[in-house]
Amino acid sequence: MPKFLFIFRHSTDPQSRPSPEEMQVLGGQWYAWMQKFSASILPGGDGLKPSGRSLKAGIVTDGPYVEAKEFVASFSLIQADNYDAAVAIARECPGGCNAIEIRELAGYA
Amino acid sequence: MNEPRELVEHFFRHEFGRLCALLTRSLGVRRLDLVEDVVQAALVQALETWSRRGVPEDAAGWLYRTARNLAIDALRRERTHAQALPRLAENTEREFSPLEAQFADEIGDEPLRLLFVCCHEAVPAESRVAIALRTLCGFSTAEIARALLTTDANVQKRIERARDRLRELEVEFDTPDAAQLSARLDAVLAVVYLLFSQGCHVTHGDMPIRRDLCDEARRLARMLAAHTVGDVPTVHALLALMCFHAARFDARVALDGAIILFEEQDRSAWNWSDVREGMAWLARSAVGDEVTRYHLEAGIAWEHCRAPTFADTDWRRIAELYDTLDRIAPSPLNSLNGAVAEAYLHGPQAGLERLAAVPPEIVPARYPGWHAVIGELHFRLGRHTAAERAWREALRLTTARADREFLRRRLAVCRPDGEEPLESAV
Repeated sequence: MPKFLFIFRHSTDPQSRPSPEEMQVLGGQWYAWMQKFSASILPGGDGLKPSGRSLKAGIVTDGPYVEAKEFVASFSLIQADNYDAAVAIARECPGGCNAIEIRELAGYA
Repeated sequence: MNEPRELVEHFFRHEFGRLCALLTRSLGVRRLDLVEDVVQAALVQALETWSRRGVPEDAAGWLYRTARNLAIDALRRERTHAQALPRLAENTEREFSPLEAQFADEIGDEPLRLLFVCCHEAVPAESRVAIALRTLCGFSTAEIARALLTTDANVQKRIERARDRLRELEVEFDTPDAAQLSARLDAVLAVVYLLFSQGCHVTHGDMPIRRDLCDEARRLARMLAAHTVGDVPTVHALLALMCFHAARFDARVALDGAIILFEEQDRSAWNWSDVREGMAWLARSAVGDEVTRYHLEAGIAWEHCRAPTFADTDWRRIAELYDTLDRIAPSPLNSLNGAVAEAYLHGPQAGLERLAAVPPEIVPARYPGWHAVIGELHFRLGRHTAAERAWREALRLTTARADREFLRRRLAVCRPDGEEPLESAV
């Protein structure tokens, strides 16, 4: 079965950050999503810490990437029959992220 | 860890406040912005982790450790606030001591300290509620704006002003001694009561009562009463007052969200455990010789709760309490409520006379309730034209849906004067 990488992007705008109350609600919704699609979600997905390093032309810079409007916050590996099925799973994701990028794994490795 | 565990209601919000208070103790009030950032980041991490792996047994401890580590990272990056590092490290040691089981109790009064910091006399009065709601109750800017009926930008400004003042003062989180705390108690109570009243009298939108605000206010006041500084009659009186009001919440809102007239309220729908709690606080407040506005307002609320039916209400006693209240805390709203009591005691005309005695310069002409009461008193005297005029003014000024519905229903019963015999007016 094809595998897909879900890349979850969040906004860096502090105004768009959910409040603690909203986050608690989101937490429950995410948990429910993970439960519902547990057969499709492969192990290995994770959240990403907010800051990091960037290597470009031999120069290492520190994150966070303040100039970016959004940043990658987490990723999941999903198995699904095709893009339509993968998108259907993504559609049911709770709110709270700006965008979900869905990419099929090429299977080189 | 894999078992889904339900978090208690408002867990994130309340933990936000508790963590802010805890970290502010180590980092100082000057770093409130950093504190909020790391607490927010800790909640984000919790959201990510817990939705994947379930909520851990020790959720509060997990959040605290995460927030503290984020704070240490941030300070290392800055390298300029190294002096706070030892204090955070000290907390690490304490955490691994056998006392960890008492973790939550041990730090019980940190939020209280932060409440007193928010009410520092250098912080502008209108900024105090905003910063308290943010740091202690974990409300977002948008939520505070909704609660205080103002704009996001305005709330942001108030919070920044509060932070600036605290930074300028170089207030240390743990410095105020008992005497300073007592001196600031009045401001603290004013903030708590404002919070509660904002929750009770929502003047726009669809929710007649913002229960959350009322609950937060009672939570803060109970916290206060559990501490030596706040274990005083004034605080007990405020708690009594809030309990008596809270007891009537469910009865105040009809199923369709319309505000139910006090006379028509179903007294069996009152929350009697709130009334009992209020009675206990009221009894404790009756100590010493100081009578505050909270004592009087609690007394009035108690008179309402105590009457088995509306007809049994002791209006004489209530009118007296309002008279005293007007002397020690004069306000047009007290006059308005006093006028209602007066009207029940001596008739609508007496109520109108009392309102007419309010100096024109302090009449709250933009407060819909003022016109609604005037309309009701005129209506009861059979003066429908005057009633209609007042109710239309009230309707023009009010945006709350439930209040608008109520006023429309009252307007619908108005007839031009003379068309209906006088006695048909109640």
